[in-house]
Amino acid sequence: MNWNFEILPDFIFNGLRDGAVYAAAALALVLIFKATTLINFATGELAMLGAFFVYVLNIEQGLWLWLSIAIAMLVSAGIGAAVERALVRPFDPADHLPVVLITLGLFLIINAVAGDVWNYQVRRVNDPFGQFPSWVPNGSELKTSSEGTIACLENADGALAEVAPGTAGADMCEMVGRTFFEVIGARLHYRTIGTWIALALALIALAIILGKTKAGLAFRAVSSNTESARLVGVNTGRTLGFGWALASVFGTLSAALVAPALGGVNPNMMLTILIYALAGAALGGLDSLGGAVIGGLVVGLIKSVLVSWFGVVVLGQAYFSILQLATAFLLILIVLLFRPAGLFGTRRIERV
Amino acid sequence: MSDDNWPTPLPRPGDDDETPGADASVFAVFAPPDDPPPSDEPLESGESSEAAALGVEPSGAGLSVRSGPPAASGVGTAVLGAGGADRVVGSRRRIGPLSWIGAVLLGVWLVAMPLTSSVTELRQNTQIIVMVLAVLGVNIATGYGGMISLGHGVFVAVGAFAAAYAVDDLALPWVLSILAGAAFAGVIGALVGLPALRIKGIHLALVTLGLAIVFQPLAKRVPAFSGGVSGRAVGAELVPPSWFGTSRWAEGLYHYLICLVVVGLAMWLTHNIIKSRPGRAMRAVRDNDTAAAVYGVNLVASRVSTFAVSASLAGLAGALGIVLVPFASQESYPFQESLVLYATAVLGGLGSLWGSVLGVAIREVFSRIGELLGDVSGLGPLGEFLRLLDEEQFVFGVLLVALTFVFPRGLIGMFNRRKT
Repeated sequence: MNWNFEILPDFIFNGLRDGAVYAAAALALVLIFKATTLINFATGELAMLGAFFVYVLNIEQGLWLWLSIAIAMLVSAGIGAAVERALVRPFDPADHLPVVLITLGLFLIINAVAGDVWNYQVRRVNDPFGQFPSWVPNGSELKTSSEGTIACLENADGALAEVAPGTAGADMCEMVGRTFFEVIGARLHYRTIGTWIALALALIALAIILGKTKAGLAFRAVSSNTESARLVGVNTGRTLGFGWALASVFGTLSAALVAPALGGVNPNMMLTILIYALAGAALGGLDSLGGAVIGGLVVGLIKSVLVSWFGVVVLGQAYFSILQLATAFLLILIVLLFRPAGLFGTRRIERV
Repeated sequence: MSDDNWPTPLPRPGDDDETPGADASVFAVFAPPDDPPPSDEPLESGESSEAAALGVEPSGAGLSVRSGPPAASGVGTAVLGAGGADRVVGSRRRIGPLSWIGAVLLGVWLVAMPLTSSVTELRQNTQIIVMVLAVLGVNIATGYGGMISLGHGVFVAVGAFAAAYAVDDLALPWVLSILAGAAFAGVIGALVGLPALRIKGIHLALVTLGLAIVFQPLAKRVPAFSGGVSGRAVGAELVPPSWFGTSRWAEGLYHYLICLVVVGLAMWLTHNIIKSRPGRAMRAVRDNDTAAAVYGVNLVASRVSTFAVSASLAGLAGALGIVLVPFASQESYPFQESLVLYATAVLGGLGSLWGSVLGVAIREVFSRIGELLGDVSGLGPLGEFLRLLDEEQFVFGVLLVALTFVFPRGLIGMFNRRKT
């Protein structure tokens, strides 16, 4: 047992970063489940498509990255609404099976089409949160030694390699130093902070849309009781389409945020993310928006702290690293077995 | 309840194998919603017939058993085609012309195919025949057991790995190895069946899909069993006896015959299971588990054994697969394979043995058409699209969506039957 608490904050930061991605993807699942008690199995693939839109606009067409992401989100919203209108609305929402089959079919179709168009190799994308803007102090400056040399790159032993100023090594140092802060001895990466900020902004926007707009009110009415909402004159079909559009936006957000960490985009990129997101959504209760966020973050933490830190570092068992995905799967199983309503869900879903 | 209380049209326990209506629910699955209601004869309705098949009067237990969906329509039977046309509800077991045509075509193909094929084609076609078992496995779990399984590719893989391990590392004879593959997959299936006791419907779909996705990365990391990233070659070969011939074609034919016999035996066994008490219990649990429990069905045993049987069929397919291609790798069993297996079972018709055969046949026809169209070149964007048709995944996705549109209520049989 090697209780290496010094590196624990690193794992916590990483866990919460991954968790933020899972939270966004879990929200995409929950937004649809909340309104219709359906699980959209194609969530991950729709999100993957969104990430490819970002890739096409940004890398192939040379558009500004943020503009690309915004356009990709809008297009995904359109696709989500179109899928709902064309493939889901014709079916009775009380019958789950047809829609399960439809979303599974979509899963296969989107995956195959993406594989056909972009093939299955990983395509590098630009990182929206690669380096801090220049006004942020360099994270590695803390390590400038008295002789004017900069120590920033850790070599294999974990010791700091010193480089002279003005050399290529120093430039490298500068570049690496711009990607993180040092907080309580751990590296808080710009990517991590950026992911959190992006998720927070998206959540605020979602809260405003659901809380302050008429469409949001209609969505809440429909998810609370579809029949009553219809009776008081809410256009339920259009509202559900709106829900699918919102869900697709969150899916695309999660895929765009996670793509740089995966090394790029490829048609199978969201498979594992889907499992973590399902675990997060199940943990949060499948019909609770706040639960999805918390569930996603908790799944990220469990994966990083419990499996990677406790299993690999503390217990010294390298094979624990292969259990990350299995842990998420087990989590789904355990939650559905013993507490189908999750932490924050309503009980009614037990009987579904 | 004494025997004297039985209403006359109801069957006695034990003599109900060929009861008209015993398969009613299977066919009702395909009935459109607006069909005229069935006659009042209790046997005509789907759910009560299952209860009746168990040998109990449905209304006798004080449970309100809803009158089942109406009987099969012409469209429904047309979809079942060769498989189902013979078993229209309310009639004695008659074999319709479509079934005859299907059976004759199948027979001719089974005889003519090996005689006219090259060694490679023969092997490929044998693999297709073996595929029937995996689809049948999905069918047992989903069509007869009512437990949606999107993860049967996992059991195929487990069966293949276990058989490879048995024949190579344990140096068991082939017969035992193949059985070991099926048995091991069955054990894993029983384990997966345990959560299915509590997790139902869409949640079970979620769990089994999770299993399908988790399996591949996990199998990569267990090299002793799966051969790791690169897979494991199977050293042992199933060599035909010397009197059979020594050419490669003779070997292919030998494997073909063995697979055919095993598939036939497995189908016959499955048929017997379905027609006997465990099979009736299986369907009763699917239709209404509370009612089934009241009638004395052990829900735990029924669900777990259903899943075990269905998984071992898939495992058997995997084990036969390594006889044909002596190589097993996680690469061969991506999660998409599981979804395609499920789609094949749905396509052929859930809850019908021959439906699985039909499903595989449809799959083959479409993949042949796709291959042909995919080879056409020089059409620009249209050619791009045609190339997609060569992609099995794509074709199945489209078929799944299209089929759901044509029979929106038709596929409802598995869960929420009783939802009003």
